[in-house]
Amino acid sequence: MPGIRAAAVLLLLAVAAPAWAQDANAGKAVYERKCLLCHGEKGDGKGPSAELLLPKPRDFTRGLYKIRSTANKTPTDQDLFRIITEGMPGTSMPAWAVLPEKDRHNLVAYLKSFAPEVFKEAPKKLELPKEVSSSEASIKRGKEMFEAIECHKCHGTEGRGDGPSRPELKDEWGHPVAPANLTKRWTFRGGRARTEIATRLANGVLGTPMPAFLEAVEKPEDIWHLTNYIVSLGPDSPQPATLVTVSAVNEVIPDDPGADFWKKIAQSNILLEGQVIVDPRNFNPAIDLVSVRAVYNDKEIAFHLTWDDPAESKGDGKATFPDAIALQFAPQQPTGTERPYFLMGDATDGVYLLRWEQGTGVTEVSAHGPTKLAPIQGGEAAGKAVFKNGQYALVMKRPLVATGAERPTFRTGVFTPVAFQAWDGGAGETGPKMSLTSWYYLRLEEPQSNRKFVIPPVVALLTFAVLGMIVRAARSRAIQ
Amino acid sequence: MRKTFVALTALTLVGSAAMFVAGPRLVGAQGGGTVEVDVKYNGAPVVEKLKVNKDVEKCGSEATIEKVVVGSNKGLANAVASAPNAKGSTTAKKAVVDQHGCKFVPHVTVMTPGELELKNSDDILHNIHTYSTANPAINKAQPKFKKTMTEKFEKPEMIKLTCDVHSWMLGWVAVVPGVAAVTDANGAAKLENVPAGKQKIEVWHETLGKQEKDVDVKAGQTTKVTFEMKGK
Repeated sequence: MPGIRAAAVLLLLAVAAPAWAQDANAGKAVYERKCLLCHGEKGDGKGPSAELLLPKPRDFTRGLYKIRSTANKTPTDQDLFRIITEGMPGTSMPAWAVLPEKDRHNLVAYLKSFAPEVFKEAPKKLELPKEVSSSEASIKRGKEMFEAIECHKCHGTEGRGDGPSRPELKDEWGHPVAPANLTKRWTFRGGRARTEIATRLANGVLGTPMPAFLEAVEKPEDIWHLTNYIVSLGPDSPQPATLVTVSAVNEVIPDDPGADFWKKIAQSNILLEGQVIVDPRNFNPAIDLVSVRAVYNDKEIAFHLTWDDPAESKGDGKATFPDAIALQFAPQQPTGTERPYFLMGDATDGVYLLRWEQGTGVTEVSAHGPTKLAPIQGGEAAGKAVFKNGQYALVMKRPLVATGAERPTFRTGVFTPVAFQAWDGGAGETGPKMSLTSWYYLRLEEPQSNRKFVIPPVVALLTFAVLGMIVRAARSRAIQ
Repeated sequence: MRKTFVALTALTLVGSAAMFVAGPRLVGAQGGGTVEVDVKYNGAPVVEKLKVNKDVEKCGSEATIEKVVVGSNKGLANAVASAPNAKGSTTAKKAVVDQHGCKFVPHVTVMTPGELELKNSDDILHNIHTYSTANPAINKAQPKFKKTMTEKFEKPEMIKLTCDVHSWMLGWVAVVPGVAAVTDANGAAKLENVPAGKQKIEVWHETLGKQEKDVDVKAGQTTKVTFEMKGK
């Protein structure tokens, strides 16, 4: 009898076991190696590195999970498995696809053991309304709904996460939390796919201020219209550039960043990272992308920069500072591969900065390290900045040819090293606390001369003439 | 244990039979009494003010967060007085919270486990964000065109209500199984139809905590009890 019972139990277990068996104890071992540093030994999100991170690491003991495919607060195992595997864009949570699949399943079991009460309730699948594919009409309806349900209160009029409620937002643990920048879909925590966006809209993001909208839209399918509108707000990926091309133009370059002139110029997206080499380090940089358009004519070179910043800041000098941005060049065009140190040069090799600061405007600065800045006397730079709906647009101009050892002259056809630095003063960034890039290159394209229209036809004509002469010579010889 | 159970069952049976015989109209007069609860606080009121940067036409330009409201005679307003064990004498009226002028009105709502109606009479977006643990936590948007919503709170709990759009908005829902009332501006609350006998009376305040006292309730009579809340 006991034998039969044991066999029955075994059989039951075999039937009841999920497709992948989970072992919380095995998961614990993986957790201690890979997760503990941020999420803490007790799973309370208070690991040793937690204080450096924003958003803060998840506290598993509450069992509150942001990204769920469910209608209630219990996520499915697959939801947890996916976040472990793919990570959370825009946060410090990396994708753990490098771990064996089995380890990741075991981790799911271990995470659940931190909040057994929550997982007693079975996940309830969220039923999304019938999908509506994107169309002009759907996007229009989505925009109407976006305004009617006041998404802009947090996400801003154009979706850049700059709404009036932004500074007040806190998560369930009292940490400040930023509304998503809807124009940067690649930073969406739960993924950029349409179904993901619709799911976030429908059931909200648990533990954050983002509420569920499934019952709060006029018609259920509005969830999809909203999704289609959000998708229309920006590209799928940042499409980062590797080279900045400075286009040659013949006309006068406008100062106004909103001028139609700039719309014709191709833009390059430059990704920025936090400065973490010298103190104070910037582990949570506010500015992650700057879009650059650059042109020159026979007199001037001009840079048109746009970047997102949730609020214009002039700074109070204590907690907030003026917003700023800088383009960095070597003071003289380097002859070899040697360039000054990318972090604003050093004591021996300085750099030249074309810099704009809120309240100060455009200046030319010589730097020998991130704290050793000196304005260049007799600066000839000018420019204009406009801030609107969570975005700066700036034009900085300068004569093409410069005098003095501290300022570069821009030449056509050569690869000129350039680097970028940006500060969101409203987020407390100033001095070394900034976003930056290492050296990139920019290249002034050759002027649009008439030569390319003249030389090839002349060459072709000459070739034909020579051919004709050869043929004639050959013929006359044949006749003789 | 078993004896008590038997006794209780017998009592309930007898009670029901008595009710059946006497008719329900007499219960109020004969089976229950009234408890008048006075809540005092010897400290200063706590009111925070915040400059409003949005929806000024609905919310006003300054928001007040009233954490401790002290009225005349040191009466403490917005405290919940309850006889949690006085079951069966529920108020039939559905509890309602209105979001009006970017405030939860009333600031503290009492309800017996069941449904709560949430109104938005502001014509702007609010979101109902509860910090409940016994009941499911909810965070649901309530845009201007959604004038009412109904939510279920089945378990006894003091639930904090917030709105993330307007961070100063703060309200409480007291889900109490028994008889409960909120103290008025003078710190007074009246608990009616409390079954006669020894009853536990509780007073809860959002920042000053909880106190309880045992009170002898006499059928058809009014019993007075005073609580002195201490600052933290």
